Amino acid sequence: MNRAFRRLSIGVLAGIAALVVALTYQQAIAGPGYARDPRNVRVFADLTAEERGNILTADGIVVARSELTGDGTYVRVYPQGEFYAHTVGYATGSTSSGIEQTRAADLRSRDDGTLGAVLTELFGADLGPQSVHLTIDHNIQQAAYAALGDQKGAVVALDPTSGAVLALVSNPSYDPNIFTVGSDAERDALLDDENGPLLNRALTETYAPGSSFKLIVTMAALETDFADPDTLLPDTDELALPNSLSTITNAEEGYCGNGATVSLQQALVISCNTAFAQLGMDLGADAVVDAAEAAGFNRTISFELPTIASVIPEASTFLNSDAALAQTALGQRDVRATPIQMALVAAAVANDGTAMRPYLVGAITDGGHTVSRTNPRAWLRVISEDSAADLSAMMEQAVFSGTGWRAAVPGLRVFGKTGTAEVPDAAPHTWFVGFAIDSNGDSIAVAVLVESGGYRGDEGTGGSVAAPVAQAVFSAWVDS
Amino acid sequence: MTRNAESALLVLAALLTGAGAALVTVTMDDTIMADAALAPAVFLAGFGGLLIAVRRWASGSVRTLLPLVALLTAVGWIEIYRIDRQAGRLQLAWILLGTTLAGAVLFLLRRRGVEVLRRYRYMFLVAGLGLLLLPLLPQALPLHGVTINGSRLWVRLDAGSASFSLQPGEAAKLLIVAFLASYLADRHRGLADMPRRLGPLHVPEPRQLLPIFLAFGVSFLVLVYQRDLGASLLLFAVFATMLYAATARPTYLIASAALVAGGGLAAAQSFSHVQVRVEAWLHPFADFTGTGYQIAQGLFALGSGGLTGAGFGAGSPDLIPAASTDYIFVAIAEELGLAGGLAVLAAFGLVISIGFGIAMRAGDAFRKLLAAGLTLTLGVQTLLILAGVIRLFPVTGITLPFMSYGGSSLLANLVLIAVLVRISHEERV
Repeated sequence: MNRAFRRLSIGVLAGIAALVVALTYQQAIAGPGYARDPRNVRVFADLTAEERGNILTADGIVVARSELTGDGTYVRVYPQGEFYAHTVGYATGSTSSGIEQTRAADLRSRDDGTLGAVLTELFGADLGPQSVHLTIDHNIQQAAYAALGDQKGAVVALDPTSGAVLALVSNPSYDPNIFTVGSDAERDALLDDENGPLLNRALTETYAPGSSFKLIVTMAALETDFADPDTLLPDTDELALPNSLSTITNAEEGYCGNGATVSLQQALVISCNTAFAQLGMDLGADAVVDAAEAAGFNRTISFELPTIASVIPEASTFLNSDAALAQTALGQRDVRATPIQMALVAAAVANDGTAMRPYLVGAITDGGHTVSRTNPRAWLRVISEDSAADLSAMMEQAVFSGTGWRAAVPGLRVFGKTGTAEVPDAAPHTWFVGFAIDSNGDSIAVAVLVESGGYRGDEGTGGSVAAPVAQAVFSAWVDS
Repeated sequence: MTRNAESALLVLAALLTGAGAALVTVTMDDTIMADAALAPAVFLAGFGGLLIAVRRWASGSVRTLLPLVALLTAVGWIEIYRIDRQAGRLQLAWILLGTTLAGAVLFLLRRRGVEVLRRYRYMFLVAGLGLLLLPLLPQALPLHGVTINGSRLWVRLDAGSASFSLQPGEAAKLLIVAFLASYLADRHRGLADMPRRLGPLHVPEPRQLLPIFLAFGVSFLVLVYQRDLGASLLLFAVFATMLYAATARPTYLIASAALVAGGGLAAAQSFSHVQVRVEAWLHPFADFTGTGYQIAQGLFALGSGGLTGAGFGAGSPDLIPAASTDYIFVAIAEELGLAGGLAVLAAFGLVISIGFGIAMRAGDAFRKLLAAGLTLTLGVQTLLILAGVIRLFPVTGITLPFMSYGGSSLLANLVLIAVLVRISHEERV
């Protein structure tokens, strides 16, 4: 009998061992996911009762803090109001958004009154709520909002060498305090506002990139060795598209160069449509789509906050339609990009061809000392170092003597490309995508999008509307 | 280990309840500290009294079992008290009653030992089956069955304005194990004799197989009429493993597994409550607000508990349905973390190992089978409910021995321990 007993006991104890493995999995491996799950109300249960940590900008401006109310509970206050609504979000007793949601676990106090906590504090640890430090620079953020003014749009600024987000702006914005201490009427008004202040135009809206997409086409040409900056492209004042009634003309009507040829560099500098449409068709759909996907199109950018993918149709859809390819090469038709995607394109050029993974939280601190710090990581190898150097030179020229001149800042080397995307029956969306380098070699990449021509309406172009916003961002960066 | 060390460990378990109650009182901002004094007093009286009974009537028994049981009961009690103060106070009464009953069992067995149980085996069988069927009594009688959480496994006695609920299945499982041990002790040779072959399997004479079909039938009836998946599986698993324990013939395990698989499939096809449980197990988040809610809340609690837990009183076990009964382990794992959960698992593993040790050392077939049967009951029940709440298996809805809130389960399992203790004593006499 004992042999059977032994086997049975091994069986039951193996069952206990399986429980040990399963419990370890559920609590230690899958556990953090369950703990953060938005349906797990524990995350919010304490929000009203407990103090949460501060959220600060890189330069130490407090943008979210807890305030004690009369009845002993805490309420979240956002001293910088609408400047950080889309980034920091808000946290109430029942819902949260932005950093308030993604970093809820870090912001919560770990001083839960348990014996373990008491002992840990006796040994000198600080279990109070931790502070979350954003990578955003308050001066740049403010300058970007000021430059946009009443214009709808978005600004994304990054440190190209690390991926740290220096400004993240979506305009119009809203006052997050409305969600924590505001009235129902104020909340309803916000939800019904047809200007869409709750939309994050920088991350979750896509726009036709217009001529800023010529950066991608140039990348395709350089990377496939189809052309270098001095390669001569045919110069025409009007390009009839094959099998189509459409023709392509240039913004200023007329030729881009001498009427016979124009160099790739010159075509980019003055944003020559006819040359780029022809270049796109000559490169072929595979090369153009590959270059866009190498830069991050058709994939979701992994980021602190939700983003949507920028899209370009598959190469096979252009099979019998050179006309569609020509229009795509000009950033029209079905190609769409988010502002953060275009900022990453500029950042990759500035960073020798590598786009770093964008991040928004630089560090978590606890009292005085740093608990964790974000390590920059490469995201995509977009182009080779050589291509990046060539493209940089062309973009610098585009600001120095081309369409992007309004982005220039004395004392800085500024690089960029404008875009003016035609929108059916409406004013064009205007872009500036570029970067700047100061005398120390530090750099900042930026993408500016202004919807519907901004203040200038139908007359608006990337050079006249978006470039000045970029100029304001570069200036604020130099000053701080 | 000496008897004094055993006493010291019991005192520690008692003090644990006091510390736990005090901690809960402080973290939850209660003001009444009386329970922090009452709980250790009850534990000292209950388990201390039981220890005195053990010293008198089972002096040669193992010393490791009682402290482990007291520890599990103490941790379970703190969590019950944390979830519901009133339930905690009521549970203290059950602890007192349960330890008294366990002592009484030792007293009754003091002269002739567990051997005396063999005399009553058919009475046990009839009483066991009767208790199993008791919840089916119609509503009109003063003693009648009630349906709680979709399962009809409770009886309620209405006496005037007072009413009193019990789960007779808890006692039934002990009586049936006692019957089986006695029956198998006489018949194990016949059952182990397998003159026939069916393909690769050796099979016994068909008439020898009658009991296993009877067992299967009873388990299936429990499932159909009481809609109680847990009790049904537990009963059947205990039948099957005891047959194997008695005969060492894997045929019984294989045949039982086939019956369970077949029966399980049939049940999943035909009974909506089984279907719902399997579906909730496989996809708890598919119907998050409905059938998957309990499992999902359990997983959230485990995840939020993390490695070291929120601490007694600082978690949110009230979010989990049935936190103090079926899900008591998850509530503990939320507040004590993976560390605490593993400690509880280790304690159960030790109790089960000690049980099998007692079975292996016992002097005769009946004692061996009784000890093994009781240990298997405890082990299978623990595995079933824990595998359910950790999502290794569908939730079957039975209590976790010693820890879950409820008198019937605690009483039955403390009596079970008393019998095990007595068997371990008899090996020395």
